[in-house]
Amino acid sequence: MHPAGLAAAGTPRQRKWPSKRRTPVSQPGMADPHQLFDDTSSAQSRGYGAQRAPSGLGYPAPSASPQAAFLADPVSNMAMAYGSSLAAQGKELVDKNIDRFVPVTKLKYYFAVDTMYVGKKLGLLFFPYLHQDWEVQYQQDTPVAPRFDINAPDLYIPAMAFITYVLVAGLALGTQDRFSPDLLGLQASSALAWLTLEVLAILLSLYLVTVNTDLTTIDLVAFLGYKYVGMIGGVLMGLLFGKIGYYLVLGWCCVSIFVFMIRTLRLKILAEAAAEGVPVRGARNQLRMYLTMAVAAAQPLLMYWLTFHLVR
Amino acid sequence: MAFTLYLLLQAALLCVNTITVLHEERFLKNIGWGADQGIGGFGEEPGIKSQLMNLIRSVRTVMRVPLIIINSIAIVLLLLFG
Repeated sequence: MHPAGLAAAGTPRQRKWPSKRRTPVSQPGMADPHQLFDDTSSAQSRGYGAQRAPSGLGYPAPSASPQAAFLADPVSNMAMAYGSSLAAQGKELVDKNIDRFVPVTKLKYYFAVDTMYVGKKLGLLFFPYLHQDWEVQYQQDTPVAPRFDINAPDLYIPAMAFITYVLVAGLALGTQDRFSPDLLGLQASSALAWLTLEVLAILLSLYLVTVNTDLTTIDLVAFLGYKYVGMIGGVLMGLLFGKIGYYLVLGWCCVSIFVFMIRTLRLKILAEAAAEGVPVRGARNQLRMYLTMAVAAAQPLLMYWLTFHLVR
Repeated sequence: MAFTLYLLLQAALLCVNTITVLHEERFLKNIGWGADQGIGGFGEEPGIKSQLMNLIRSVRTVMRVPLIIINSIAIVLLLLFG
């Protein structure tokens, strides 16, 4: 699955630049690596075309019924045609302009996942100690979609984990007779506020330390959202087995997330040379190392802070 | 721990107000953080202090007018809804 990875392992010194020019991931199993999602439009249009033909033929036939008489009236025909063309124009306008406010095309990349990727990524989040190759594969300067590379960040797991966390928090509060519906909104708002604060703090510190990184904001949100998975595990174990289970599982997930974040961020924040494991001296790299450690250390703290009040 | 998004917005507004209020001549120059005191040589990597000074100067320049509007809205909302 990673032929380029095995080849690169043999030449660790040359890994920093040629890694961006790896051989394109073109295996016979994939239709077109540029496509994020499978194309099912041909099946749809065939189905719709078959549906529309008989209904179109059916229109002039029952002209005796009053409803069809209303529709067969030429003026209302024109009105219908005008209305549908107006709707099509409006849809075009919205599609053109929505990309300015919400980067829809960029977001689609983060949701191009499949079941195998989610399973492997969840395994990686709970047990990142055996994984060797943490670099994201590139394909002609664009990162490969998450379904083809387990190291690529995605937004599906963080989004689902966040929603599950809110639901599990509601469940935990319910078992302690402390539940009321507005508490769910409060939990969600609180978790979102902490996430926003974390993202802003990290962006500010990245700016202050002048790190030239390709870590985009959405990437950062994805990485910071992975801790919700550990939080869910901890709270569920706490519900089943009490405080001992909660502390055990939360401790395990905290250490795993710490290692995961350090190994992932090391490749993004630290200089290329340091990413190969050679500790490079110099104030700049030291500062970046501290920054990576601080970001990774903040994860367990937040995981504890957001869940300890749920387990009694 | 009711740390809501609204609280975050309020805190952010107060922080930006704080940065904007720092007076260039009376205060920043006296502690060596003026806008013209941080220009290092070209080709040198800017340290944290000069990045901070740049940040303060750009926040003050960019956010002056929008902050007037946002502060007015916040004052009216707080007066009406407490």
